[in-house]
Amino acid sequence: MEHSQLYEKQCEAILQGETEEAAALAHQAIELGVDLGECVDKGYARGIREVGRLWEEGEYFLPELVQGADAMKAAMAVLRPEFLKDQLESREEHKVVLGTAAGDIHDIGKSLVGTILEANGFVVVDLGNDVSNEAFVEAVITESPIVLGMSALLTTTMPRHGDVIELLKERGLRDQVKVIVGGAPLTREFAQEIGADSYAANAMEALSEIRKLAGIEV
Amino acid sequence: MSSSVSSDIVALLDRGLVLLDGGMGSSLISLGLADGACTELWNLQHPERVRAVHEGFLRAGSDVVQTNSFGANSVALARHDAGDSMTDINVAAAVIARGACDAVGHGLVAGNIGPSGVFLPPVGTATEDELRAAFSSQARALADGGVDYFSLETFSDIEEALVAVSAIQTVSDLPITACLTFDRKKRGLFTLMGNRPSAAFEALKGAGVCAVGANCSIGSEDMGALADELVDAASLPLILKPNAGMPLLEDGVAVYGQPASEFAQEVAAMASLGAGAVGGCCGSDQAFIAAIRSEIDAQS
Repeated sequence: MEHSQLYEKQCEAILQGETEEAAALAHQAIELGVDLGECVDKGYARGIREVGRLWEEGEYFLPELVQGADAMKAAMAVLRPEFLKDQLESREEHKVVLGTAAGDIHDIGKSLVGTILEANGFVVVDLGNDVSNEAFVEAVITESPIVLGMSALLTTTMPRHGDVIELLKERGLRDQVKVIVGGAPLTREFAQEIGADSYAANAMEALSEIRKLAGIEV
Repeated sequence: MSSSVSSDIVALLDRGLVLLDGGMGSSLISLGLADGACTELWNLQHPERVRAVHEGFLRAGSDVVQTNSFGANSVALARHDAGDSMTDINVAAAVIARGACDAVGHGLVAGNIGPSGVFLPPVGTATEDELRAAFSSQARALADGGVDYFSLETFSDIEEALVAVSAIQTVSDLPITACLTFDRKKRGLFTLMGNRPSAAFEALKGAGVCAVGANCSIGSEDMGALADELVDAASLPLILKPNAGMPLLEDGVAVYGQPASEFAQEVAAMASLGAGAVGGCCGSDQAFIAAIRSEIDAQS
């Protein structure tokens, strides 16, 4: 099978919310030895972006959204060990803390960033979703990450990113950590406005931006 | 000012346009309810404030007041560690509303029931049995407290609403009205689950409710623009309860900025299209109800 056909089927499995099919296609991708980064980007992630678009358009509703997300998670569960197989040696000084903003339970994009970072030698501390502003600040203190990455999928929760940055300033911690933000409703302008150091539109861009922030030459 | 002698919502709807009440939660917030606190616990902690809201609506011209029991099912209360007080909260809700009607001299008491807050598959993992137990026990307590009928509101899943209707019917013969909450999409009105008004209303009719409708989520402007769709979809009396505009966050507090007069004109216009009952949802206080009263009295 052409790789492009496989990616098409993967995208379709997410759109149809077919969990078993999505996982089976992930196994197939591994057997075929395709570039898994490309497979995620052109297959599954494209599917989930399309689900998001159809939701915005009012064509998809909560059941389709949840089923698409479940299918995506099933595929990523299959791919994750493969990503980590040829993992670069992880280095404690390349630690990244990740989390989704308070009040926001969307974690597909953030988890994808985490997997890709781990595969590329970062130590990832994933705080999960609906992370309070305080919990982000606490993790900066206890984990001393080089980068803090925050995600949001809602226009109502993205302002929390700015709140966390303000809180870091208040506590005198802002200079100790680089901050990157991302998520569907965010823009580079928003990131600049709230005083973040960087912004990424997707998981691969997040990797390259976080490498830059960490001062890693590739 | 209309006076309701009938204790029967079916007869009242039959007589003409019924004016419901406004938003309980937003009214209690203005009386000091903290953000995120359990609204329904105030039936036990501050019954006089809950009653004051009911009396305000009744004096403003409401024909019906809804008990302060929207989230008083055992599943939703458990999130506030108040599950053990479920029966007391619902009985008190009915008694407080009845006391307000007696004091003002008119008004029906609608036992308000909102969604459980958990979802049936595929979105969630709740079971129908779990939901049925929650709704039937709440309905029994409201009936024991003396409500005149049951009013389901803000359901976004027709399946959950149908479970609630059948659960109520196992414990009481009182009439039931049911409102879903719709969002305005490009192709019209849909619930969060993708249910369209026509199919949802037909299913509710088949289940035996006496009126169907739409409440919350959208303001009077959006609901007014799509009122035709709702009127066409309903072959039972139609209930319309929009929000008082959309909330804006000001210093972290939800503020509903729409003027009462504008809201009342839009609601009265919906009524003239064929709604059987109108009122306000979030953000509409007694001034909004008074404004609707004067608009619809001027129309008739």
